[in-house]
Amino acid sequence: MEKLYSNKKVIFTLVFPGILIFLCAILFPICLSVYYGFTDYSGMGKASFIGMKNYEELFRDSAFGRSLLNSLLLAVGFIALQHPIAMIVAAVLDKLGGRGEGFFRCVYFIPNVISVAVIAYLWKFIYNPDFGLLNSLLHLFGHQEKVNFLSQDTAIWSVLLVLIWHGFGWGMLIYYTGIKNIDPTLYEASSIDGAGVGQTFLYITLPLMKPVIQINVTMAVISALKQMETVYLLTGGGPGGSTQFAANYLYQQAFKSFRYGYGNAIGVLFIIICVLVTVFMNKIFKEND
Amino acid sequence: MNRKLTRLFAVVSAAAMLASGCGSAASSDNTAQVKGANKEVTIKVFSNLPDRKNGQGLVEQTIIDEYMAENEGVKIEVEALDEEAYKTKFKAYAMDGMPDVVSIWGQPSFLDEVLDAGVLAELNEADYADYGFISGSLEGFKKDGKLYGLPRNTDVQVIYYNQKLFDDNGWSVPASYDDFIALCSDIQAAGITPVAMDGGDGWPMCTFLTDILAKVAGTDYASIVAKAISSGDFTAPEIRKSVEILKECADAGMFQTGFDSQDYGTAMNLFTNGQAAMFAMGSWECSMAKNEDIAEDIRNNIRAFNFPVVDGGKGGDHDIAAWNGGGYAVSASSPVKDEAIKFLNYMYQPTKLSKYGWENGVGMSAQDQSDYLSGDESALQLQVMDMVNDATSVSGTPINDCGPATFKTCIESEIQGVANGSTSIDDFLARLGEACK
Repeated sequence: MEKLYSNKKVIFTLVFPGILIFLCAILFPICLSVYYGFTDYSGMGKASFIGMKNYEELFRDSAFGRSLLNSLLLAVGFIALQHPIAMIVAAVLDKLGGRGEGFFRCVYFIPNVISVAVIAYLWKFIYNPDFGLLNSLLHLFGHQEKVNFLSQDTAIWSVLLVLIWHGFGWGMLIYYTGIKNIDPTLYEASSIDGAGVGQTFLYITLPLMKPVIQINVTMAVISALKQMETVYLLTGGGPGGSTQFAANYLYQQAFKSFRYGYGNAIGVLFIIICVLVTVFMNKIFKEND
Repeated sequence: MNRKLTRLFAVVSAAAMLASGCGSAASSDNTAQVKGANKEVTIKVFSNLPDRKNGQGLVEQTIIDEYMAENEGVKIEVEALDEEAYKTKFKAYAMDGMPDVVSIWGQPSFLDEVLDAGVLAELNEADYADYGFISGSLEGFKKDGKLYGLPRNTDVQVIYYNQKLFDDNGWSVPASYDDFIALCSDIQAAGITPVAMDGGDGWPMCTFLTDILAKVAGTDYASIVAKAISSGDFTAPEIRKSVEILKECADAGMFQTGFDSQDYGTAMNLFTNGQAAMFAMGSWECSMAKNEDIAEDIRNNIRAFNFPVVDGGKGGDHDIAAWNGGGYAVSASSPVKDEAIKFLNYMYQPTKLSKYGWENGVGMSAQDQSDYLSGDESALQLQVMDMVNDATSVSGTPINDCGPATFKTCIESEIQGVANGSTSIDDFLARLGEACK
């Protein structure tokens, strides 16, 4: 068997499909994107090389700046709101035990199994000022004025709420799995030593969850940067571009404005930002180690 | 060394065969096929009408079925997507081989790039001399004097209203813009939304703005818009005045709360459920009067009027915002181009698209429909027909479709901001200018 694995032909046969997929599905499209990013390609006809013009315009493009800022705001929302709550809920679920544990685990995960299109339309109806659930509730409590949750000033927060709610179950499940893998004897020892619930969480659960937190937070930041479908279906980036996100803006430029070259330049910058964020996050967690 | 080279060659040729296999599979999927000696022909139709059982989609499907029944050996395969998805896939097809007959829009924001890419086949204009096309309706589908597509509809921007609601409350159709604002105030006081507006999509507010501009600028509409787009300067007083009116309408509470984030279906439902007294949309929604999903007392009472005259404006009562937008074309690379053009011509025979469209109440055709009046038309249909017949001038292409695609994207996004007051009129006009440069 060992001889077989040291045979170069066998190694090549085993590795080749993976390399081929990587080359065709990842590296080649990225190279193509880099190439088109230097052109004025409209998506049809011929492309002309225009050097760095797309990138120069990108740095002056206030709509792109705003979309990037919204993506970062979502990332902050994920880190500051979604993940701490997800972790606390996971810890509470772990202690709940019995049927309740399984039941609530499923309940919290339900939004994740619903299609993005359904989620977007569901929240569209919930937010609607004329027949939406939230306005009906406010009306019940005596608030007569219709509230527009998707107005220019509030839409971004309403969208963030949907995105945080939608991704909550996934984050919670990973934390829950992480907590379940912690050796229970550590909890028993801390209990014997007289540690309270808070101390146990802070000094045992949290430190041992560091690798899980690292993966979860990195994934959350990248998913915030990649966010497109929900925003596209919920607000389309409006009103007036107030809920524009980077990936949605890329789509809009490439496919609606016939600026495929410019869209690819956004894509390239996007890849660079994602790589930088990942490296930065890894560095932060390494320093903390 | 030779052995290595032989192996390398084998691997490269195998990969090439694999790639060419994929390529041919893709192309056979996208293009029409001519099979065997019995000349079996498959025409691929790519349509933006996904609902094949109602309205325009039903008309299109009926003609396709008839063509297949009359032409043995011809098979027509339809791929239909809604407009947004359609335009995205159209672009993908343009890069990789188009289906044989496609839906297009005869407006610069869509057609300029498509014609530059050379993906549409040239049509012989002389062939259509007897097809009854309304004068000027082919212009949007031409480039350098050559015809590349045919228009399907004459679209008119109207304001639908619920006549029963108006009669019950003693409201009347406004004769002027000031009357319109006063009417909206009365409707609001009655606890009803005056006008249901699909502001989330951007383009309906642009066609509404087009209607206002047609009233402000009159017959100068097209030249003012063309000049602004070519120079990137939108400070013309007529344009500014129109945007001010749009903002005044929104500020006066003419539209529903949150209009700037609500979509087509939501806005239409407000009107068809009786929660809104009016609905700003194009004439293609005349089929509401025949839609049995809408409550009878509402659908039988839907009527329409044009945006009223503006004090000091050059446009009169009969200067309307109308255009020939959607239509069909044939792919330049179609392997069955002749058969596809034959099918296109069949669709446009006056007794087909135009007649069936009229019978199904899907709005005005781009061809003369006067021969098809049967007496079964809805009052709404006749009213819109009268608007077109009585028009002293028509605006032509709506403002958002007059410029390049970047301008279209910009105006459809920024118009939400200027209507809800978060963007100043100056900034709005400056951004439009920037998008044209």
